[in-house]
Amino acid sequence: MADSEVIPYIDFSHKNSEIRADLINAFEKVIDGGQYIQGTEVLNFESEFAQYCGTNFGIGLANGTCSLTLILKSFKFPTNSEVITAPNSFIASASSITLAGLRPVFVDVSEDMNMNPELLEEAITENTRAIMPVHLTGRPAKMEAINQIAKRHNLIVIEDAAQAVGAMVDGKKVGGLGDFASFSLHPLKNLHAYGDAGIVTCNSEDTAKRLQILKNHGLVDRSTCDIFSSNCRLDEMQAAFLRIQLRKLDAWTLERRRLAHRYNEKLNDVVDVPVENSNEYHVYQTYMIKASNRDNLQKHLKTAGVETSIHYPVPIHLQPAAKNLGYKVGDFPITEKLSHLILSLPLYVGLSEKSQDYVIEHIRNFYERKLSLD
Amino acid sequence: MTNPVWKVPYNYLPEQFKNRDDIFDAWRDLANSAEFTLGPSVNEFENNFKKYIGSKYCIATNNGTDALILGLKALGVRPGDEIITVPNSFYATTGAIIACGAYPVFVDVDETYQMDVEKIQESITHKTRCILPVYWGGASPRMLKIVEIAKKNNLSIIEDACMAIGGSHKGIKSGRFGNVSAFSMHPLKSLNVMGDGGMITTDDDEIYEWLKKYRNHGMVDRDHIDIWGVNSRIQPLQAIVANIELNKIDAIIAKRNINARYLDESLNKFSPNINIPPRFQDDIDTFSLYMFTCKNRDGLLNFLRDNGIDAKIHYLVPLHLQVAAKPLGYSKGSFPQTELQANSIITIPAHQYLTQTQLDYMVEKIGLFYTQL
Repeated sequence: MADSEVIPYIDFSHKNSEIRADLINAFEKVIDGGQYIQGTEVLNFESEFAQYCGTNFGIGLANGTCSLTLILKSFKFPTNSEVITAPNSFIASASSITLAGLRPVFVDVSEDMNMNPELLEEAITENTRAIMPVHLTGRPAKMEAINQIAKRHNLIVIEDAAQAVGAMVDGKKVGGLGDFASFSLHPLKNLHAYGDAGIVTCNSEDTAKRLQILKNHGLVDRSTCDIFSSNCRLDEMQAAFLRIQLRKLDAWTLERRRLAHRYNEKLNDVVDVPVENSNEYHVYQTYMIKASNRDNLQKHLKTAGVETSIHYPVPIHLQPAAKNLGYKVGDFPITEKLSHLILSLPLYVGLSEKSQDYVIEHIRNFYERKLSLD
Repeated sequence: MTNPVWKVPYNYLPEQFKNRDDIFDAWRDLANSAEFTLGPSVNEFENNFKKYIGSKYCIATNNGTDALILGLKALGVRPGDEIITVPNSFYATTGAIIACGAYPVFVDVDETYQMDVEKIQESITHKTRCILPVYWGGASPRMLKIVEIAKKNNLSIIEDACMAIGGSHKGIKSGRFGNVSAFSMHPLKSLNVMGDGGMITTDDDEIYEWLKKYRNHGMVDRDHIDIWGVNSRIQPLQAIVANIELNKIDAIIAKRNINARYLDESLNKFSPNINIPPRFQDDIDTFSLYMFTCKNRDGLLNFLRDNGIDAKIHYLVPLHLQVAAKPLGYSKGSFPQTELQANSIITIPAHQYLTQTQLDYMVEKIGLFYTQL
């Protein structure tokens, strides 16, 4: 094995070459069609994606933040309403709530990095309107328990499925496990546009219609504005590219899982690797380990040419932006503990076993060397 | 959708992007670089655009509506504030005000289809935060006068220059009058992309710093979030298109002006059936919409469309009479000039790809309609 390799955190070249010809055809077709906003590519992608998730409707949007925000705005909740989510996610899980004029309330996660349903009930107040569990890293949250609690308290469940397209619980895909689901189709996602994109899935026809109107200036038709709203449409060109990706998604997810399981096998004695329960289908949008001495491991890997990432080093409740929510260090002990341990390793379609072995070898020798120094 | 039966199409996009090799090459490079979240192509476009407009800063956004919303927020607009604007714009102008929790206060337009500057002062209250004039169709409102009124009343200005990229008023570019200015690159604008895209320009350091964060999740860097923000980034794919098209914009506007002048001269003959709005020698209109008012508008519209001319109406129902505007409390008769225009205005193609034959064909059919009358 070479002494120095460069292994990026993500590399699109393999995926791109696999679908290059289709992407070019789509590019030509959209340009010649002359319809660059809300054309047939968007409509087709919306129905194909809904079908993929096993839901009745898909509403294509500009990005995943828009899709969370728009769902929340569509209810017209009173302004003191609270929405419960997890504090260890990407900022948009909470900012979407504030953008909708509502208050984020956090519930700590379990060791699986997803919302702990046992802590959920004590966070519910008379102002709670919705629960927004996150399927972090591509692993589904404990939806059955969450849905039960939501039902008991008459709350809406919105899946933040930004990282989890294709993930399943008991053979049922995320996107159809709550009342609504929001997906990001940002380039670092398993199904991605070549830029920003997002989509909402739901089963209610009324809500789907309402979201379609809200995303396009509140227009019912060209001359009739039902409600003043903004523009958060999915680009026609991106929709055309997404349709091509969607056809490849299951095969690409299988490859991600194969690589993830390979990491699991070869690393489970030196770091905490992600555990998959028997009824879960994890899509490994990020392959996240829990590692002692994490910062030095990351430096060690960087020196070896291995690019890694941390999702995320500062939990949402400790960000300066969240000051107005009144949280402090110690409020969410598991989230805070995990933020010092988690490390995301390179995992992408096209990562060779040789490169993966190189990453594994350098993780192993970091801990072995440390042992010998101890 | 481009309809092959149109003898004079409104949509010229397949024609504009017939040669797409340069865009394709740049997109391929982008796909290889994987710089899909802001990045060099966006920086390059923002630099080129601010040079073109002559502003200190440019922040590119996901679309023109977002440019207005973010611009209003950057000016400190808060729920309950009043924003003075016009009732004859695209829905987004008012939508942006409502999105900030503020109230649109409409003032009527004059015979140029632009904000009637004589009516602004009487609409100002202690709640007024700023004036939001619209360059409707691509022509300029009396911006120097509006600046004067704003100064006198200590109000800021946000320009809705969505239709006016490349236009000017008395030698000053559209987008150089406001504290912030919003632009759109929707496919049928003078500078356009293959989807949605928008920009904000400003000279104000603080506004720029705030907008840069707010546009991208409030991020200072990847791990530090200073404020609650949105995702309203321009797509790098679209920034690339905009960069390429920006080189052509002055030629595009020049050609549209030649077409418009020809149509003005030819259609003036049909006065008083047709009423061309006043034109100003020292302004540059982008003619994003070539509009005039006419008698029996609906008859003319149908006649032109039956004859293969893709004429349109911008718009049938003014903003204050939309279902969405009910809570604002306006009624029929609130804005007589706007309402009169909504009943008699029509838009015909005047874009840069029209041939002389197509221009003459439109003039001929319009003439035929009124001689038959």
